[in-house]
Amino acid sequence: MSANIPQLFRTYQSHEVPLNCKIREAARATSATPALFERIEIGRAQPFIDGGMGRNNPSWLVLEEANALFPGRKLGCLVSIGTGQGGVISVDEPKAMIDTLKKIVTDCEATHETMLRLFTNFPDAYFRLNVDQGMQGIELSQLEKLNIVEAHTKHYMRRNEVEKNIDSVVNAIRVPKGQLLIEQFSTAMSFMKI
Amino acid sequence: MLGRLRMDVKTAIKHYDKLAEQVFSDIKPWGEDRKIMRAKKLEEVIKSMVGSVTLSRDSESPLLERDQAGACPTYVY
Repeated sequence: MSANIPQLFRTYQSHEVPLNCKIREAARATSATPALFERIEIGRAQPFIDGGMGRNNPSWLVLEEANALFPGRKLGCLVSIGTGQGGVISVDEPKAMIDTLKKIVTDCEATHETMLRLFTNFPDAYFRLNVDQGMQGIELSQLEKLNIVEAHTKHYMRRNEVEKNIDSVVNAIRVPKGQLLIEQFSTAMSFMKI
Repeated sequence: MLGRLRMDVKTAIKHYDKLAEQVFSDIKPWGEDRKIMRAKKLEEVIKSMVGSVTLSRDSESPLLERDQAGACPTYVY
């Protein structure tokens, strides 16, 4: 699997040849992580080694997919939900992993910045929710820290500006403005894509 | 869970909690044997979840939804 062209596991027919996999196989393939979950082979495809690799913020992916799936339809809104600033991923090889972690965070934030620019003239069409405090140092497998994650998330959601943002998300989903066609984004996207 | 398995948010959280507990409750987090075991456990838990919530009660249900009516197109990667 190439880092730049992730395999999408779809519940619907698309322009691509379907993988014909089972739900349990898709769950395995998308959770595969070198330090945590063993890889999986599905049919004759290459083994799926790392589900998150390369595209940790899937905003581009979802716009591209929506563009292919719904030509001629208008975009309601795009809601992007992060797993918390600081990353909740950890592995036992410190140096290499810290570098990877930093890269993932930078990559996610860069995509978010690009989305902000892409949607500048379309208010209430793009939202990003991401807990920005307290998630540092919580490892992916630390089940005992789930209550800390919950506490930080609740705290984040109670913040005034976040509360307002969530209200706007709800409004945008309930009454979509449909400000422009999804395909109009593809032109902008091809210009802005790094 | 919300897409293919058509759970509501409350049900999804309940299943997710159960899944996390079953998959991550081992003591030693790292190591080759651990990651193989954990992957097996994940697959087991997902299988039983799929078997209990799908209309067909089939734990081997395909990801592709045959009847798209009322379905929410979902992908994971």
